[in-house]
Amino acid sequence: MSISGQVPIPQLTTAALNSESSATRSDAALIAAAVSGAEAAFRELFRRHTPHLLQFVTRVLGPSAADAEDVVQDAWLRAYPALVTFRNDSSFSTWLCSVGLRAALDSMRRSKRHIADELFEEDSAQDPPHQEDRMDIESAIARLAPGYRMVLLLHDVEGFTHDEIGVQLGIAPGTSKAQLFKARRVMRALLTGREKNA
Amino acid sequence: MSYNDENELTAGELELLATLPREKMPSDLLEERVVRALKQAGYMGSGVVPRKRGSASAWKVAAAAALFAGGVATGRFVMIPDAPQSAAVAAPSNIMVRDTSPTNIRSLPVKGEMIVAETELWL
Repeated sequence: MSISGQVPIPQLTTAALNSESSATRSDAALIAAAVSGAEAAFRELFRRHTPHLLQFVTRVLGPSAADAEDVVQDAWLRAYPALVTFRNDSSFSTWLCSVGLRAALDSMRRSKRHIADELFEEDSAQDPPHQEDRMDIESAIARLAPGYRMVLLLHDVEGFTHDEIGVQLGIAPGTSKAQLFKARRVMRALLTGREKNA
Repeated sequence: MSYNDENELTAGELELLATLPREKMPSDLLEERVVRALKQAGYMGSGVVPRKRGSASAWKVAAAAALFAGGVATGRFVMIPDAPQSAAVAAPSNIMVRDTSPTNIRSLPVKGEMIVAETELWL
């Protein structure tokens, strides 16, 4: 490891990239080649990580999921110039999701469907369902208020810590814990069809 | 209120969350859209390689140092012809030199001698 703490990325030319099989190319090697302008390396990186990024962004956006591919495109446009700053402290997938989260938040703010102040309001769910409705977990997550949904996704689905969520969302770790507590309570109510009593 | 123990996910809920799909396949056009957008932004295939922010700062520091050195060199070049003249102007016309030869060193007079000498001046 270098003095700065950044793991040196092995240099890989396009020719060397072509000689390797897809399975043996590490993310670090692909990133190094993509940074040097190798389109093939970038496409490989894109194909490897976009399915997870798209699924994550779709869940973050919830009812606005129709914009998910636009947000993914925006995320890659932000990620590419920043590839040189990527450190192997976390997985590339996790780093890319962080970029995708910011792109999704900006998209939601631009569309004014959810302004920033509404992200963490004391809201239980959007358009609450009838008491007798039971829903699958995917629908329940989509029905959560944006602030609840993001914290629950980042913590319970993606495995982020409260400290990491605080950094990503610009909130205190304690706020993240409180949001998760409420998000889980509302999600349980939605899953059991007892939303009104939550 | 504690947000820790009472709200932990149950085994059933963990299982539910684990069943969530982790990936969603994008449309065929998305990859081309992203590559085209990157090229239009001048990043890929245009020979433009994103640079580290640190290297940009290093270039700025180097440029500042070169500018400073250039200023110093220019200043010296301009000042050198004037230097002898300035030295002549600045040189003192009279120089006080402390003479420490033995003939000029006398011991201080004792108190009685000083009084006599002062009286002689009045007379």
